[in-house]
Amino acid sequence: MNIYRYPLSAGKNLTSYEFVSVGPKGNIKKLIYFTSANYQNLYNLAFGDEHPETGRLDDLVISNNGDSESVLATVVAAVYAFTDKYPEAWVAATGSTDARTRLYRRGLSKHFDQVSNDFIILGQYNDAWEPFAVGRNYEAFVVKRK
Amino acid sequence: MSTTVDKKIAELNKCKAPIVRIDESLDKYDNVIPFPEKHEKMNEILKKTGHPKDYLKAK
Repeated sequence: MNIYRYPLSAGKNLTSYEFVSVGPKGNIKKLIYFTSANYQNLYNLAFGDEHPETGRLDDLVISNNGDSESVLATVVAAVYAFTDKYPEAWVAATGSTDARTRLYRRGLSKHFDQVSNDFIILGQYNDAWEPFAVGRNYEAFVVKRK
Repeated sequence: MSTTVDKKIAELNKCKAPIVRIDESLDKYDNVIPFPEKHEKMNEILKKTGHPKDYLKAK
């Protein structure tokens, strides 16, 4: 699969990223953060649009810029960049809404063949982790470089 | 010339780990928790499920 990915910028610790989505709605700045959780080597993935007025991350907005495949591929690329620098890191993701969680699941499913070669992928189901299965309705996911 | 450049761009785009431009203005976001409620939700999930590394150890 060779989906176009947007160029990424990052802070020097490679924990904060930004890129610009380009489409019919214009240029939309997207932000990706990896923030440390209360557990060792575990980071939460936060992703969304930069609010044009406050500059803060908005993960509820639906930008409909016609490039969701490229946006997802770019988020996956950021996970590769982050885990290149922090290979022991577990990256956890859960959506702010059920729709956003489904979006993450769809992204993982779409890139599963590629990503599963390089990452351990677990889904949270019935209060337990299990190997990620395409089509299963998970509330949260974690990935770690193999 | 442009064909060579296009080819190189296509090759770079196939790499799994992207080339990342460092922009130190983004450092201000380090250690910022953008969504405390989501952060808390994940911590609640982890309280129930445990750290995923423990799941792997048990396997």
